Amino acid sequence: MEEVSEVVVGLLMLVLGFLGLVMASGALDNEIYIFGLSLAGFALVFELGLIRRHFDRKDAARVRVGRHV
Amino acid sequence: MSGSAAMSDIALAGIGLGRAAAAEHVSARAEVYNMDVVRKFLIASVFWAVVAFLVGVYLALELSWPSLNFGLSFLNFGRLRPVHTSAAIFAFGGSALFAKSFYVVQRTCRARLFGGEALANFVFWGYQFFIVMAALSYVMGYSQGQEYAEPEWHIDLFLTVVWVAYGVAYIGTVLKREEPHIYVANWFYMTFILTIAVLHIGNNIALPVSIYAAKSYSAYAGVQNALIQWWYGHNAVGFFLTVPFLGMMYYFIPKQAGRPIYSYRLSIVHFWSLTFMYIWAGPHHLHYTALPDWTQTLGAVFSVMLWMPSWGGMINGLMTLSGAWDKLRTDPALRFSVAAVGFYGMSTFEGPMMSIREVNALAHYTDWVIGHVHSGALGWVAFISFGATYYLVPLLWNRARLYSTRLVSWHFWIATLGIVFYITSMWVAGIMEGLMWRAYDQFGFLQYSFAEAVNAVHPYFVIRMLGGVLFLIGALIMVYNLIMTVYSPTTEVSVTERRDAALPAGAALAGE
Repeated sequence: MEEVSEVVVGLLMLVLGFLGLVMASGALDNEIYIFGLSLAGFALVFELGLIRRHFDRKDAARVRVGRHV
Repeated sequence: MSGSAAMSDIALAGIGLGRAAAAEHVSARAEVYNMDVVRKFLIASVFWAVVAFLVGVYLALELSWPSLNFGLSFLNFGRLRPVHTSAAIFAFGGSALFAKSFYVVQRTCRARLFGGEALANFVFWGYQFFIVMAALSYVMGYSQGQEYAEPEWHIDLFLTVVWVAYGVAYIGTVLKREEPHIYVANWFYMTFILTIAVLHIGNNIALPVSIYAAKSYSAYAGVQNALIQWWYGHNAVGFFLTVPFLGMMYYFIPKQAGRPIYSYRLSIVHFWSLTFMYIWAGPHHLHYTALPDWTQTLGAVFSVMLWMPSWGGMINGLMTLSGAWDKLRTDPALRFSVAAVGFYGMSTFEGPMMSIREVNALAHYTDWVIGHVHSGALGWVAFISFGATYYLVPLLWNRARLYSTRLVSWHFWIATLGIVFYITSMWVAGIMEGLMWRAYDQFGFLQYSFAEAVNAVHPYFVIRMLGGVLFLIGALIMVYNLIMTVYSPTTEVSVTERRDAALPAGAALAGE
């Protein structure tokens, strides 16, 4: 479940981040400019968090089965 | 009375397990449940509570002394007011609801939150992102100009995505439950999720000028727009500030009191009647407007009928304490929850009364409405949230007890005094305004100018501000108490308490 959830949410954030960049790139007012950039930044940080948690979990699993590298 | 997971957890309390034991029990299931997202939402709710109260106090100061906006556009009352209401309703209330609903659904369904950590984290961070973006847009001057629905189209769409994710996580958990019975609190939470989705989408259908511009135009015009807005607005009160907090009441009061619900049958009747009736009551916000007369009457009739299910729920909440009233003396957190139900009863009497046309003719557009809203928001919503928060923090952080019950008691009385200051001053101010606006002299002219009415209510605005300050002080006391609960060595679970926490054979199966 964790793996599937990460992929689905990761793809969703990818789309949202891309939309944010598109909105910021053509923004006609400050609101859309700030919102678009913030959305892209939020998506980026969230993706990094997903990657970090993914490898943290892999590390924890390795430690549990005693296969230290 | 029906058996359920919550009931069986109460049974655990009944077989002599203390608070420390309950904390151990939660910790034992930590691997099973996702309590991380509950903790995060709980912290967010306390943080946003302080922000909402602080902005509220500043606005009350501005209303008493308008020059306190210093001529700065972003400190203008019109821009800060939606920051206050959104912070109170959606940031504080919303985060509290997310926290408690995710806790309740996992415990009563005996299932880990559906969708894994990633979905739960998206719901948490996505919702916080929505709050910050909405607040920022208000202070920058962007708004749809519709009460409680101020965010423009792009923020509305983002919230819709987050809300769907919340619904998936919640309903997915219910679907994969290990407990056959769906405890009544879950019905209240699921109605909240579904109805708010319908209301939010229905009221915010709008055509943006461009996808690169924040400005949009509503799909509804004129009086239709007003009707849809107040269908949404009143049900924001009904299905955001009432229904899910009743879910909170149905789980946390029995847990705090260590008693089963007074009548499970009544809770079901309460649920269906409230859900059916609330959705029709919106037009009472539009008495004496261009809305057709019959629609106004329909809204008023349903509002008056709402009194009964509301009080049915109140009675159910209060009577749950049968045989445990003495706990009110020793457990100030329970006092919060029970006082909240009292305030719920009071404001659900006041609301139907104010929806009657003759009363509305006096009350509408006056500060009486503001007093009514705050008796519900502070007395009901905030108090039931505080009660549940005081109950949850030691459990979630695996502490034996709260740092200080004395400080909880101080919080309770200071906050109660603050509410009393607030609502009584607004009653007096509101009725005075209503009477001054309608007063005629012997020649048939209005007796008072609008400015005279504004001047007359000034002292009451100052008293209201003092009430807000007291409520804010109470919240700061809570923040200190909760931080100390988590960090102080005095609240750690002792070795003796750990030994006592061992569950008797079979109890673990019966528990949540």
